[in-house]
Amino acid sequence: MNFVLIFLITIFSLSLFFYGRSKTKSISVENNIKLNALPKFYGYYLVLWCSIPALVFLLVWSLFEPVIIKTIIIETAANQGAIFNDTNEANLIYEKIKAIHLGTYFGDIDSILKESAISYAKFINLFTNSKIVLIFGIIIASVIYSLKKIKNNNKAREDVETILKGLLFVSSLIAILTTLGIIFSLLFESIKFFSVINIFDYLFGTSWSPQKAFVRDASAITADEYEELKDAFGFIPLIAGTSFIAFIAMLVAVPIGLFSGIYMAEYASMKVRRVSKPIIEILAGIPTVVYGFFAALTVGPFFRQLGESFGLTVSSESALAAGLIMGIMIIPYVSSLSDDVINSVPQSLRDGSYAVGATKSETIKQVVIPAALPGIIGSVLLAVSRAIGETMIVVMAAGLAANLTINPLDSTTTITTQIVMILVGDQEFDSPKTQSAFALGLTLFIATLILNFIAQRAVKKYREKYD
Amino acid sequence: MSDIKIKSKNLNVYYGDKQALFDVNLDLNEKEVTALIGPSGCGKSTFIRCINRMNDVIDICKVTGNIEIDGIEINDSNLDVVSLRERVGMVFQKPNPFPKSIYDNISYGPKIHGKGETKNELDEIVEKSLKKAALWEEVKDRLNEPGTGLSGGQQQRLCIARAISVNPEVILMDEPCSALDPIATAKIEELIDELKKTYTIVIVTHSMAQAVRVSQKTGFFHLGKIIEVGKTEKIFKNPDNKMTQDYITGRFG
Amino acid sequence: MTKEERLKKRHRAEKRFRFYGLSSIVVALLFVIILVNNIFSKGSSAFMKTVINVEVFFDPELIEIKNGATEDEILSADFFDITIETLLKSYPTKNIDEEDGLIDLFTTDAEIEIKKAFLDNNNLIGKKINLEITASDDIDQLHKGNYPRDLPEDRRRISNFQLEIYDNFVESNKIDKNFNNYFFNNGDSRDPELAGIGGALVGSFYSILICLLLAFPVAVLASIYLEEFAPKNKITDFIEININNLAAVPSIVYGLLALQILLATIQLPRSTPLVAGITLALMTLPRIIIPCRASLKAVPPSIREGALAVGASKFQSVFHHVVPLALPGTLSGTIIGLAQALGETAPLILIGMVAFVVDIPSTPVDPSSSLPVQVYLWSESAERGFVEKTSATIMMLLSFLIVMNILAVYLRQKFEKRWN
Repeated sequence: MNFVLIFLITIFSLSLFFYGRSKTKSISVENNIKLNALPKFYGYYLVLWCSIPALVFLLVWSLFEPVIIKTIIIETAANQGAIFNDTNEANLIYEKIKAIHLGTYFGDIDSILKESAISYAKFINLFTNSKIVLIFGIIIASVIYSLKKIKNNNKAREDVETILKGLLFVSSLIAILTTLGIIFSLLFESIKFFSVINIFDYLFGTSWSPQKAFVRDASAITADEYEELKDAFGFIPLIAGTSFIAFIAMLVAVPIGLFSGIYMAEYASMKVRRVSKPIIEILAGIPTVVYGFFAALTVGPFFRQLGESFGLTVSSESALAAGLIMGIMIIPYVSSLSDDVINSVPQSLRDGSYAVGATKSETIKQVVIPAALPGIIGSVLLAVSRAIGETMIVVMAAGLAANLTINPLDSTTTITTQIVMILVGDQEFDSPKTQSAFALGLTLFIATLILNFIAQRAVKKYREKYD
Repeated sequence: MSDIKIKSKNLNVYYGDKQALFDVNLDLNEKEVTALIGPSGCGKSTFIRCINRMNDVIDICKVTGNIEIDGIEINDSNLDVVSLRERVGMVFQKPNPFPKSIYDNISYGPKIHGKGETKNELDEIVEKSLKKAALWEEVKDRLNEPGTGLSGGQQQRLCIARAISVNPEVILMDEPCSALDPIATAKIEELIDELKKTYTIVIVTHSMAQAVRVSQKTGFFHLGKIIEVGKTEKIFKNPDNKMTQDYITGRFG
Repeated sequence: MTKEERLKKRHRAEKRFRFYGLSSIVVALLFVIILVNNIFSKGSSAFMKTVINVEVFFDPELIEIKNGATEDEILSADFFDITIETLLKSYPTKNIDEEDGLIDLFTTDAEIEIKKAFLDNNNLIGKKINLEITASDDIDQLHKGNYPRDLPEDRRRISNFQLEIYDNFVESNKIDKNFNNYFFNNGDSRDPELAGIGGALVGSFYSILICLLLAFPVAVLASIYLEEFAPKNKITDFIEININNLAAVPSIVYGLLALQILLATIQLPRSTPLVAGITLALMTLPRIIIPCRASLKAVPPSIREGALAVGASKFQSVFHHVVPLALPGTLSGTIIGLAQALGETAPLILIGMVAFVVDIPSTPVDPSSSLPVQVYLWSESAERGFVEKTSATIMMLLSFLIVMNILAVYLRQKFEKRWN
């Protein structure tokens, strides 16, 4: 239906364009007036007026229609005597009603469901019809208005440009809307979570096992139940596991990335640079699920066998395997950024050092790197933020159980792994378990935001210093 | 007449396909200031960068011919440029102190060359170098502040102090005053006059007045060739070559 | 320490330092080679499947239809008896266990394959034909040499009797390798020999298409606004900071956003390319805006001034002159952004694309998988055959990424003007 409407709006707009253009042309010829704008701008003017209000209306309508219909249907079903205890059951009944309407439901149909399905069909019809009527109403109104405006309008071009400029501005606002959307969706569930679990119990709890959290009635939790719940949602093991794996990753990525960056910037000839730089950057372009596959199926078992031959017990989901592979993924982030940063250290500093008889490595270690340090730290921080936000490698190669450990051969879990584990498959809405995933997401979002902010400030400050 | 310290024979320099110096033959005397003058791009900077092999830093640069210091060939791939540069210091056009403290700027050279094993010895070297560069009085109370915080003239004297900290025999100066105001310039010139008692100095300059003020010997470069060399007085009062005459009287350049 | 010793030591340190740098690069390059080699050596065999040549006799007594039956009749007819008969005739068996062992050598879809052969030539009642039937996953892996046959029998999925049949088939040249059409045409399946990436390919295609349609116009318009029209004020600064931060937000957070807003609030259908496309578009948007702005910025002001000087409006100067010049850079940035979106997995898992989907989606609102999610799903499966399939899926994914990246580099180098 919507596609037909969009198609019709397009056809109307196009015909209005040609109409507006030829009309203004003939007016200007008949009355012998010189217009300030070319006739085609009058065409554009009509097109914009015809399409934008109708399309915006259609979009808004389509966004809210399902939600409104759902609320109405659930309400009427309840009035007819349908019984549901929470939103999950309400959703289930709604899905059933929808399936009956579409003819894809094969279970038993009782009278309530049947009645609801009929009223659902009625509402769908009503909404579709009113949508069509309203859209045509809007098109007719805005076309009449714009045709009237066009008669004594001498600056169609300015008007068209003002409207387009508004459109450009709205496009750039989408970034802000996305951020707001993220904050809203994370906060919404997190607030519910923290209304059950005290935020300090979450932040400083040392045991994480959400699978144990059963809540019968979130509004009335006894003190005993809360003690158990508290133990299910302690953040400390997750941040410990996340930092531990990220730390192993940085142990791999920082030396290799930094030395590669230094070699590229200071030693490599143009030819070597041209070949090796893009090859190293391939590492950044490989999807992380591929690394996860490699870590889980090749590196993990390899480490376990290697450990066995030395008489060590190595978990096949060891923090070491996940961290190592994550580190390799991050190498290019460190190397490209530090290469750029080192390249922007002015040559005169190097000359000054050579002139007192320093060797190249002495110059790099004692003059170039200290000068480039803020930028290098910035690039390492960006890499850290990548590491803690990385999901697929740890989901596939790190463990699921939240162990507080500093043994790299043991398995441990991360924030992102837990988010995926909680939200994959069937979710119960309004349970602290599901909400805890959003609380974790919020924590992750804030952590990466702070890291990025500091990193970007450091790099920017550094750039300004030598520009 | 003093002894010859540096001797160049048939020196040619190429940047890729472009030749920058053509058969330069030039002798520089010990403990004397030699000024090199000439219009921009004439090769005078290229020439002094051959004396401490700074051209090695530029990938596409190729040097043929001979340069001898104390009779020892230095344009030799087997020669250790690190110990050459310890003997031949350099001061650049724009002051380039390291982004470190004043103390660390001076102690950097002696440290890497293993001079001044103890803190006391280093302190002594720093003090001596800063005194020789006539900067000690101005900075002795703030040795731990960053060198980049000094004024332009002070920065350049800091760079001179850095150059003499490793106790070189020769100091090359590549237009050391071009970024400075007249008062700072006067101070540096005074300093050069003092330093020539200890060091052989080669200075590239754009200002002919400066060449007259500081140097004993002057060489005139044009389009990569050395046109005329001689005692400074003679070059400026009574040059042999018509082109030198035109340049010093300001007809071109 | 003498001066000479000291110098020697310093030069050794120099060499050492240089060596560290070089070996770091070599380690990084080596890893690329190991990874690619590992994936290719595991995955390339998945493009072929093992087939067993059997003789099918369309016995009129076992089949309920006649020659010249309509397509509908054939499709609804029962070919089960014929299939069992055919498979059992391929090797002599003594008891019911051996019969089961023999049947297990063939794919569970053997009946469908025989039916298809009948459909292709609707005149086979009472006739015998030779047909190549897909082998089961175990035999497929054995024939490709991925299955260790020297394990003791109780630790093998293949019995000694089955091994005997297999060896006999090999000797009598009944076993062959064909191009694996199932891998490209089928959706997901619990049987590795039938599982394919057809559904994931279509799902990824729809997702990326929707991502492109949404992200590209918005990113270009937003970049034009920020680079050409935005006044220098707090709002503009705020938008800029926002975009830079969004580009660094972990992708899983976008999954949470989609879950809460697109699925829970707006009620879009779960597990569909539509939701995936919108999610990826939101995620890709800042990553496209950044290169778009860079290429707009690279157009020198003289172009704008030239247009303005002949009386063009600001809009005309931007849309007629600046935007076309910036287009190659914009496009190449978009393609790279899309390539990243194509490999993105975590947010798609959260919006339910991990569902087990057998059917190939026909529209963007059908439940579907995507290539990287398929990799994740299969890598969790225990069967050996899925390791090979996973690696082959990665090979397909990587080839798409390589093609996209080459296209991006080509566009930039071929069409982008260099400004001096």
